[in-house]
Amino acid sequence: MNRALPEMLHCLNMPGNVAGGGGSADISVLERQRARMKWQQDQNFLIGNHELNVFSAQQLHQLQGSVSNDPGFAEYVTRAVKQDPGMENGWPDVGKFGGDDHLGYGACGYGNVSGFEMNYEAIARTVSCSPTVAAAISEAAVTETKGKESILPEKLNSAVGRESSKKRKADKNQNLKVVAEEDAKEKRIKGCAEEGDSKITEQNSSSKANISNNNNRETSTDTSKENSKVTEVQKPDYIHVRARRGQATDSHSLAERVRREKISERMKYLQDLVPGCNKITGKAGMLDEIINYVQSLQRQVEFLSMKLASVNPRLDFNTENIFTKEIFPACASTYPTIEVSSEMANPAYFQFSPVQQVVSCCGLEMGITPPDMALRRTTSAPVSIPETFLDPSCFNFSYARIFLYFSKSKPLQPGTLSYKTSIAWSFNKEDQQHFPLRHLQ
Amino acid sequence: MHSPSQLKRDFLKQWLKGLQMCNYPKKEMSILERKKAIKLSADVAMASTRNATSCWSLALIANASKDGNNKCLVEHLLGQESERLKMASTFQLAILNKKLRSKKIIKKSCSVRRVKKLAPRMVLASSVAKRLAKNRTQLLKSLVPGGESMDEFSLIKETLDYIVSLRVQVDVMRCLANASDLLNCKGVHG
Repeated sequence: MNRALPEMLHCLNMPGNVAGGGGSADISVLERQRARMKWQQDQNFLIGNHELNVFSAQQLHQLQGSVSNDPGFAEYVTRAVKQDPGMENGWPDVGKFGGDDHLGYGACGYGNVSGFEMNYEAIARTVSCSPTVAAAISEAAVTETKGKESILPEKLNSAVGRESSKKRKADKNQNLKVVAEEDAKEKRIKGCAEEGDSKITEQNSSSKANISNNNNRETSTDTSKENSKVTEVQKPDYIHVRARRGQATDSHSLAERVRREKISERMKYLQDLVPGCNKITGKAGMLDEIINYVQSLQRQVEFLSMKLASVNPRLDFNTENIFTKEIFPACASTYPTIEVSSEMANPAYFQFSPVQQVVSCCGLEMGITPPDMALRRTTSAPVSIPETFLDPSCFNFSYARIFLYFSKSKPLQPGTLSYKTSIAWSFNKEDQQHFPLRHLQ
Repeated sequence: MHSPSQLKRDFLKQWLKGLQMCNYPKKEMSILERKKAIKLSADVAMASTRNATSCWSLALIANASKDGNNKCLVEHLLGQESERLKMASTFQLAILNKKLRSKKIIKKSCSVRRVKKLAPRMVLASSVAKRLAKNRTQLLKSLVPGGESMDEFSLIKETLDYIVSLRVQVDVMRCLANASDLLNCKGVHG
């Protein structure tokens, strides 16, 4: 990589000399091709590497110097773009790789390079996507009429792949000035170019000074054109948007992209909530699990209400009946009844089709409040489900005693094993850390 | 968000109150009627714990109130809250409908058509994925109360909320069922 740097720097200088662009098309084409070759060679080495940014920076500048719709370019870019489906993780967006004239609008790697986040440290985090360079090249090439710079900031803005977007979640809603973005981007690009191996974060701080003098030419052309393109971002509350590679960068698609990212964020919460979703990464699969879970919970409610209706002929869930004190002193004699109830409960439980979810919900809920769990565990209750209600410190209501009753009963006798097992089987692995009954299995 | 135990306590309180109200007429109900009453009071109690902060709860209450039989029960259960909640629910529904309508108008009027010349394989794959996701979203919308009038983003948020509440409901109901079982068994044996 280091050996390539001098050449890259040389390449960089060339378009830099071509002021205003357009004249030395041959040179820039040559530079581009050379850069392309180099990138082609190096892209396999540069996964998540800052060096990528160097290359992208180089090529970006080369493209800045020249403008031409290069059809061969487009092909090259499509090829390069297609090499990186792994960047996405199965979401429908993956399919939207650019293959048309408006190629590579989302230069993922550019997101790394660009300074859309005012805190440049974030960029190091986002260095993950690889074939951004080609995309960047195509972008710049294609959008010459509109002023390359105007497109590039957007692409730089929108470019990060899902991994990087995840990493940059914290930075998402920062205020960004369009002009400042561009400046920062270019500064960083040049910083990357000039400083070579050093990490981007280190570069960024120092690059600014180096690049500032170089920026004047480029930024002037951009300001006018940015506004038309980045209107999406010009809100009082700027939302950090990155265009994916192969996507158009008009405001509608940018808005869509924001929406999609928000949805994926929410999906992650759902993953934590619904048991067994950790391995599923696709949207459709996740939705499947969620639907199953909601259906199972609703069915449980139906079943339990039916059960309650059958048990109580008169719907008299009066507190006096249930919470009479005689229940509690009779704890010792309840072991046989626990058995009985367990046998009654077992067929009931077994009717639930998604078995895991019956108790997994309990387990997860317990997982939600680990400090409460510690408290509960100390009160001895081997029974897990009612234990969730146990919170002696804050129980004021008498109906809480019913749960206390459950917790006090200790199924020590072998006869009560069935009760234990009726609860134990429904543990799923997530609950094991929380369920104290685990050891009783 | 409240802790689960707090939620459960609130839910139980409301639910028992509702059940007592159901019992008030003191007439003999068939098992199905009883079941319906139980479920209804449980649902309404669950929705009331949310205190009109989530869309699904409002929709649930609105649906429950629509049925003439249940209306009185719901009103009694919710007490002073009922009027406020009903207004909030209708208001919210109106807003959502407006949103949906305006979105449709915008989509129709928007003339930008992105021409994506993807490889045929990719087109197929992405369209299949989209269709799958769309089917499932529709299904989820039908499951979550009031889901039809939501866009995808808020649908997921509502689903999250709904799942938590459902869990609370299931837990409490199960405990109560167990307790009733034990009571009955004790009554039988003793």
